[in-house]
Amino acid sequence: MKISVNTEIALTYLSARKKQTAVASLGVMFGISMFIFMQSLMKGTNDYFEKMSFNSTPHIRLYSENKVADNHILKGFLKDSSVKMLTNPKQLIQTQGLNNPYGLVKEISKYPRVANVTPQVTAMVIYTSGSVQINGNVAGVDIDQENKMFDVQSNMVAGNLHDLNRVNNGLLIGKGVADKLSLHLGDNITVTSGTGSPTIMRIVGIFATTIKQIDETKSYANIVQAQNLLGKDRSYVTDIKINVKDYNSAPSVAKDLETLTGYKAEDWVQANEQIKAAFKIRAVILNSVIGVLLLVAGFGIYNILNMTIYEKIKEIAILKAQGFSGPSVTSIFLQQALFIGLLGGLIGVSFGYLITLMVSHIYIGAGTLKYLPMSFYTPHYIEAIIFGILTTVAAGFFPARKASKVDPVTIIRG
Amino acid sequence: MAESALKATNITKYFHDPVTIPVLKNISLDVHKGEFVSIVGKSGCGKSTLLYVLSTMDTDYEGSLDINGTLVTGKSLNALAKIRNASIGFVFQFHYLLPDFTCLKNVMIPALRLGKLSYKEVEEKAYEKLKMFGVEDQALKRADKLSGGQQQRVAIARALINDPAIIMGDEPTGNLDSKNTGIVFDLFQKLSKEFGQTLITVTHDEDFARRSDRIIEMADGEIKSHGK
Repeated sequence: MKISVNTEIALTYLSARKKQTAVASLGVMFGISMFIFMQSLMKGTNDYFEKMSFNSTPHIRLYSENKVADNHILKGFLKDSSVKMLTNPKQLIQTQGLNNPYGLVKEISKYPRVANVTPQVTAMVIYTSGSVQINGNVAGVDIDQENKMFDVQSNMVAGNLHDLNRVNNGLLIGKGVADKLSLHLGDNITVTSGTGSPTIMRIVGIFATTIKQIDETKSYANIVQAQNLLGKDRSYVTDIKINVKDYNSAPSVAKDLETLTGYKAEDWVQANEQIKAAFKIRAVILNSVIGVLLLVAGFGIYNILNMTIYEKIKEIAILKAQGFSGPSVTSIFLQQALFIGLLGGLIGVSFGYLITLMVSHIYIGAGTLKYLPMSFYTPHYIEAIIFGILTTVAAGFFPARKASKVDPVTIIRG
Repeated sequence: MAESALKATNITKYFHDPVTIPVLKNISLDVHKGEFVSIVGKSGCGKSTLLYVLSTMDTDYEGSLDINGTLVTGKSLNALAKIRNASIGFVFQFHYLLPDFTCLKNVMIPALRLGKLSYKEVEEKAYEKLKMFGVEDQALKRADKLSGGQQQRVAIARALINDPAIIMGDEPTGNLDSKNTGIVFDLFQKLSKEFGQTLITVTHDEDFARRSDRIIEMADGEIKSHGK
């Protein structure tokens, strides 16, 4: 390979001062590996929490809200002379379900930004086994669709969730419910809702999420079972759960659906505001730490090149006397910075990968979270190299420019 | 009349620090090809300043300068660097070799910069030049491991690597003993007589000056005698 004389000089300078080159590269290496480690940890954690929150919450939940009717429309239309007839859900028995739910499901699934739609019947119930009773709720669902949207399978600790479709009166219960009532797979349980008659159901599966509150109250049943429990007909549906293609667009889709259906559409951002805030705070912490690390590495390179230039100022003058132009001298010193950046970057990337790999084996063991969630996401590594090179080149630019401006006459004549 | 290698017309230069004083006053000078010229004068008479103006490194002057019949005054710094690389060789009082490189590399660097020959050819040529000065056995040593006389000889070899039309020396033998001075002088003479290269040296060494083709005497920023 033919290397240019500028490169040759740059490499000779670097290898003549191996220690300094190593120190500068180490600075970059730490910057880059921390960059990768922090990015992987943050993405891993964010992905985990997102997955967790979407495991229990749909992107959008459409339901009928219990709300005291307000009169502002009437007031605008009839003015103060009118008598207002307002309904209050405490006094007037209203159906809690949605009107024409399957029509709504059909309409919503036509919506281009929507990925999945599934109806649900939620029933507040009392679980009874022997003389022990606990409160809870039954989610009547289409389990296949539910699994597709919320990955119920990953939380299963016993049984088969598809038995919900096969076994009459089948029920999937949370691990907390099972423990409290000391129930096992195949046992019977009595479920009583506020409006229906007590029903004996068979446990076909047990699931455990990381959320205690859910594990101790929730169970899944076939949607028809849940309707039966409540003593309602087949058209009774309390919620429609919707997943959109891009979950960031959920708030705007929710707004559209609210206008379209007249029901309350709650998006995951509203439901999980604290998670969103945590994402943002983590991003700020991460970016400032990375910024500081790269800044420190950059200053290291700046310092070392500056010192080199002070030491080599006579040699630079001689090179210029021999016909090296300003740009040639700039290139000699920029190449040194670039080489330090590349060396530190490459070692940093491998080191960052190693740290990430090691940390991903740290046992956490909380709920479904066994190990620290780390993501191995290739763009992070590419970004790290680009950032590393940009930092080193920026740090090398000023010393290199100074070197190119050395006036040979003043230096050689002293 | 021989062809002109370097022609300076009405060169005037001031030093501005601490007060503005003229160091070169309206100097005109013509050196033709193959001439071996010595510039002599007392310390502070401006002879080194003149040499750096002639070398194209110093661009802060009034007047005009032609090298090989081309006007170089007013050219960009990068263009001047190219001219120096291709047609001017320098020898200084101190060797100014790059200590991190071998002697051979030091000699090769200007030629690699020029880029006219392949790496292999440059290497051969550098060996040849080192041989001329009897330091070829030091070729692979680092430049800072040589004795002062050897270093200066390597530095001269470096100045000659691109076969420059003009070789300029600022006290080139100032740090050499009489034996080494003799070697260098003989070589300079050979370069001018046999290869037609032009030599312009600033020197304090009267003996060295006397043996050159022409002595230009300077005093107080003016040329007292063109030596013709």
